[in-house]
Amino acid sequence: MTEASLAGGLGVPPVQGPPGNRMAVAFLALLGLLVSVYMLAYALGFTGDVMCGVGDCEKVQSSPYAWIGPVPVSALGVAGYLALLVVSLLGLQPSMQHSRTVPLALLGGTVAGVGFSAYLTYLEAFVIHAWCQWCVISAILMVLAFLASLPELRSLRSAPRA
Amino acid sequence: MSNKKGGGDLRRFYIILAAVALVGIAAVGYSVGTGAFRGATHVPLSLEDTDDPRRLMELAVPVIDGDPDAPVSILVFGDYLCGHCATFSLRERPRILSEYVETGKARLVYYDFVLNPEPEYGTFLAARAARCAGDQGHFWEFHDQLYLNQLRWGMESGKAGIFQRYAEGMGLDGPEFRACLNSDRHAVEVSANREMALALGLGGTPAILVGTGQGMSRRLRDYFFQSVQEAVEALLEGVG
Repeated sequence: MTEASLAGGLGVPPVQGPPGNRMAVAFLALLGLLVSVYMLAYALGFTGDVMCGVGDCEKVQSSPYAWIGPVPVSALGVAGYLALLVVSLLGLQPSMQHSRTVPLALLGGTVAGVGFSAYLTYLEAFVIHAWCQWCVISAILMVLAFLASLPELRSLRSAPRA
Repeated sequence: MSNKKGGGDLRRFYIILAAVALVGIAAVGYSVGTGAFRGATHVPLSLEDTDDPRRLMELAVPVIDGDPDAPVSILVFGDYLCGHCATFSLRERPRILSEYVETGKARLVYYDFVLNPEPEYGTFLAARAARCAGDQGHFWEFHDQLYLNQLRWGMESGKAGIFQRYAEGMGLDGPEFRACLNSDRHAVEVSANREMALALGLGGTPAILVGTGQGMSRRLRDYFFQSVQEAVEALLEGVG
């Protein structure tokens, strides 16, 4: 009999290695955080011309949609990716691996992130009529983080309710 | 056994994550440190045809405070890193404004005279920044801010970022100001103003000239209110 099946037989969740999907979310969130910090530095005037191999980042970043009131959109990206990074790193700790909070936060966070990214992508495509490669990269990272969070549905079903 | 393996995986993962974070932070830091306002024009332009006084007058656009039809013009040539210009602007100018400009007797005409055109001084950029603020209706506020803080920004590197913060501190549209500063906007006017000061043989700043707009203006011996007052009153008597 293996260690895992023994533990399972005693009603204790089996002890496994760190969840790979949470590692993936943490990695993607870190990349997203770096992209957002770069865009935030640009929005606040701390960098020069934005590096933009593809598209017209200047047009997108100078549009009124780059700010929500006094807050640059990239600041929301920084906050969102930072939260995802913290939650996914917490979810790697053995004590949190079977918590319901982590799957809920990861799924909720990435769904919200994908929704917001979809809205920004819509603005680029149909309102601003220009693409910013960093926004597209961020959107792709968020979709990947969402896909990496999908196994959390299984964790959610198996995790004991409080 | 699996716990040990899991701990090892996690450790490796943290190392990779930390390495990626360090590389990313270094890249963003490098971009912030070296790439700031790369698109900004930091030095005066070489203008063509400025030997022709009429052409120079067209290009040299001052900033005017007061009634454009006021009988007397007080021309001020200033450099944002000149200490006496700061004294004039912050101490003498308010009296000139209240006595003559706000009463419609005179108008104040400000020309940029960048004494040191080298980019490290930042005065050309400062002059452009004030005009970028002027595009949003805050020229004089920014002008005063530059003089008030000349010892601070004058000593610092990354002047464009400092000007950006001044603009945002005044409630200006940050992206609009950044786009202006990070371009060559107003470079022609500021360069032409300097050319005109040189053509007039003004050796230093602040240079104050007073005239009626008809014929030559007279350069004052100093920049104090009393000198301005004497010159303006004499002209007003002549006009009256």
